[in-house]
Amino acid sequence: MMRQLVKFWSSPRLTVWLLAGLMFLVFAGTWAQIDMGIWSTLKIYFRSLFVLVPFQIFLPRSWDVPGGIPFPGGFLIGGMLFINLVVSYLVRIRVNKKRFGLFLIHIALILLFVGEFVTALFAKESNMSIDEGQTVSYTEDTRTMELAIIDPGNPDVNHVVVIPESRLVRGGLISDPLLPFEIQVEDYYLNADLVNVKDRTEPVPGPKVDRGTGAMFGLAAVKRPVASGVTGNSMDLPVAFVTPFHEGQRLGTWMVSLYFSLIPEAQVQEVHVGDKTYQLALRYERTYKPYSLHLIDFAHDRYLGTDTPKNYSSHVRLVDAAQNEDREVLIYMNNPLRYRGETFYQASFKKGDGGTVLQVVRNPGWLIPYIACTIGAIGMCVQFGASLMRFLSRRRATS
Amino acid sequence: MKRQRWIPLAAAALAILMVAPKLRAPGDYNGYDLPGFGSLPVVDRGRVKPLDTLARTSLLTISTKQTFYTDGENGTLERKRAEGMKKTSAMVWMLDVATKPMKARGYEVIRIDHPDVLSVLGLDRDRKYFSMNEILANADELDRQVRSAASVDDRNRNGFQRKMLQLSTQLNTYIALENVSGLLLVPPVVERNAEDWVALNTPHVHGSPDDRAHDPAVGFLDSAFTAWGGEDPASFNAAVAGYHANLDERIPSRMSKVRFETFFYAFSPFIQTMGLYVLAFILAVLSWLWMPRSLSRAALAVLVVGLVVHTFGLVARIWIQSRPPVTNLYSSALMVGWGAVVLGGLLERWFRNGVGAVVAAVMGFLSLLVAHHLSLDGDTMTMMQAVLDTNFWLATHVVVITLGYSSTFLAGVLGIVYVLRGVLTKTLGPDESRSLARMIYGIVCFATLFSFVGTILGGIWADQSWGRFWGWDPKENGALLIVLWNALVLHARWGGMVRERGLAVLAIGGNIVTAWSWFGTNMLGVGLHAYGFIDSAVFWMGIFVFSQLAIIGLGSIPRDKWRSPLKERAGGGKKGDGGRPTPAKAS
Repeated sequence: MMRQLVKFWSSPRLTVWLLAGLMFLVFAGTWAQIDMGIWSTLKIYFRSLFVLVPFQIFLPRSWDVPGGIPFPGGFLIGGMLFINLVVSYLVRIRVNKKRFGLFLIHIALILLFVGEFVTALFAKESNMSIDEGQTVSYTEDTRTMELAIIDPGNPDVNHVVVIPESRLVRGGLISDPLLPFEIQVEDYYLNADLVNVKDRTEPVPGPKVDRGTGAMFGLAAVKRPVASGVTGNSMDLPVAFVTPFHEGQRLGTWMVSLYFSLIPEAQVQEVHVGDKTYQLALRYERTYKPYSLHLIDFAHDRYLGTDTPKNYSSHVRLVDAAQNEDREVLIYMNNPLRYRGETFYQASFKKGDGGTVLQVVRNPGWLIPYIACTIGAIGMCVQFGASLMRFLSRRRATS
Repeated sequence: MKRQRWIPLAAAALAILMVAPKLRAPGDYNGYDLPGFGSLPVVDRGRVKPLDTLARTSLLTISTKQTFYTDGENGTLERKRAEGMKKTSAMVWMLDVATKPMKARGYEVIRIDHPDVLSVLGLDRDRKYFSMNEILANADELDRQVRSAASVDDRNRNGFQRKMLQLSTQLNTYIALENVSGLLLVPPVVERNAEDWVALNTPHVHGSPDDRAHDPAVGFLDSAFTAWGGEDPASFNAAVAGYHANLDERIPSRMSKVRFETFFYAFSPFIQTMGLYVLAFILAVLSWLWMPRSLSRAALAVLVVGLVVHTFGLVARIWIQSRPPVTNLYSSALMVGWGAVVLGGLLERWFRNGVGAVVAAVMGFLSLLVAHHLSLDGDTMTMMQAVLDTNFWLATHVVVITLGYSSTFLAGVLGIVYVLRGVLTKTLGPDESRSLARMIYGIVCFATLFSFVGTILGGIWADQSWGRFWGWDPKENGALLIVLWNALVLHARWGGMVRERGLAVLAIGGNIVTAWSWFGTNMLGVGLHAYGFIDSAVFWMGIFVFSQLAIIGLGSIPRDKWRSPLKERAGGGKKGDGGRPTPAKAS
């Protein structure tokens, strides 16, 4: 039994089949990206144990073909390749001088695999978007929302309590000592269009809104399917209907939308409790940092006489009181800022070049691929150099 | 002299003679110094280029041709109507468009293929090229159709709508040349103000107080245009000469590139190279039938001449653009061919059996053919999108990945040679089989090396610019698929799952994987890397994949049905299986 198991796991045939399987998975995971965002593809195809590959992804989108084939996911195939490789080296392959380069290359492969695994588990990507002249000390995760209840009472520091999206999705009554009032989540739409009630002939289903921006402009939200294609510029605009209660008294129902926090001209939605005023906002989940970035200037160079961008760059001032750090940095394409374990990349910009969007990545495994590459490169030189030499000397001998 | 010596020498001499005449500078046109005018500079699409290039690429966009026929009064690209007319350069066409717009609007140069577009505009469906006047006769309908096509989302447009928008691009290109005073023709006063180009009409229209209102460039250009319109070669030539002298004072080093580019396009090295590769192919195939030693050497000699011209073309592009060799899909095709020819040439040098020369010539020719079709889009020296604007990574990652494509394709073509020779001819004996398999194996090793290193370099670049080493982006996945496929082939060979024939068949599979990675992923229209896309590419991709599958099928029919003699156990890694001497080696 044990011997059979070892034989199975050390088999070169298994390697070939696993490589073929991985190719199919990568191929399918590429086609899937026509309709799905990269993040969903990652989760479903590459960072999973099993995946159901729909036939539809390989066919024109106008045909409607049901069904698919269940297939091992990236973690399963990767894991099996890993075991296959390790067991093969333990029981079948003797590392000698002739095969030392190959051995190093395989070590590098293992490291690359580990690096990808660490990235999958621990890396966090977020955004920091700054308008020119603005100072920002938080990053935003554009894949999750939060409902923020802001107390603007203190002019220096806003006191903010946030409710995570996962709690909003569950709905029901939220009460917490940190909150100034209890909040009943009437409904939460992952993606919705805001419409004007007057333009609709039929009533829009959903909770009735009687306070805030929604009530003032007669807006309603129409549920939409979650969109996440990378190419379409469609993005999800979630909407929440919330009813605050203070000492058992209903204060009204507000509609909060991500849309309101993205457009600067939208009005702040306020809740009055006694003589205190709180603000409500549905926004990207923020992570506050012990340092801040101030955007001095955003530059967007174009090629002479065209609209083709040549370069984007953000001239920022980095201030970190705890570290006694205060310096100016230029972030541009292929030249990120690395600070406190995070890396800031020039990712995008705001309309009219009025601000920058930086991508902020924290990846504790970022160095692993570099180590892997070094080992792999040495292995390559050893192996292919030796093979080429052998080949050439054999040719010289025969001719 | 021995036959083995003089035949290759004669072949090399013939190859050089084929190319040499194109090195001569083109002469005047009806007394006009057209080459001189063509090498005057202009800024177009963000790049300083000769007017000659602008004329060529504009005519390409409009008609898919770089020349047209004219008799001075009429102009056309319809062969049937061109009787008695002279084949003339795009520069003549552009000058006519700019200075004799009414006459030029009668030239039949705007290509329309789509039958529905033709019928919507009420044009003759038996013709391909139409004049501006003919098309604008139905301007209202044209406008309506272009508007409605433009309002449809990019991905939902049908063939007719796409062709309608293409026609609109063609017409806009044309109109931009008619409005010649809007072109950025006036150079900076001194070289270091490299960005300070202005249009011919800028100083006049705005009446700006700066000293460039009386720029000599404006005067020279105006008189050259007027002289062309007024049929006055002497003044034309005087203005051109005067302006060149002025330019040499203002932007001397820029002008050396601009003039060189004019020569580069007139020489068209890649077209010359294609002819040489065809000659090398013919010689190498002949060597299998007749005088194997001499003719395979002759093939190699011609291949080397071709490679020299090919390399010259690549280096010229590098110098003109100040960029590494691969910057877009077009130049990747140039590089794929180059890499394959180098590797194939080495194989020929090592194995001396005509096979290396054949595959090198086939790969060189085909990839230059692909490049030629990609070049029909317009200027091939495009500016880089911001994120790709880094010479270091373009020089390393992109070049190595492209060599990975080359070598994987080369292994695939060797596989095809194996299968076709084995199934269709009797020439694939155990020795030929073994040496071909060794070639395939060696090239697959190279392919693994290049594609693996290139992919890793790409990962490092991605980590530097986007903050992730690997993003499972379609183009990255494409590169990974090539690595995986090559690794699969090697492991299948090492594990004994395949022998010589299996290796050849698997190598052909590499063609499909590589074509997918190179072109297929661009067709998906997603991903940060998708840098080029052509409509008909999907069709050709389908044809290509089908043909490769057919050859794989052919290679998979039972061995005893092959025409080549069945001599089992040629492979299996055992050496010294004393096969018969082969004709190729015996002579």
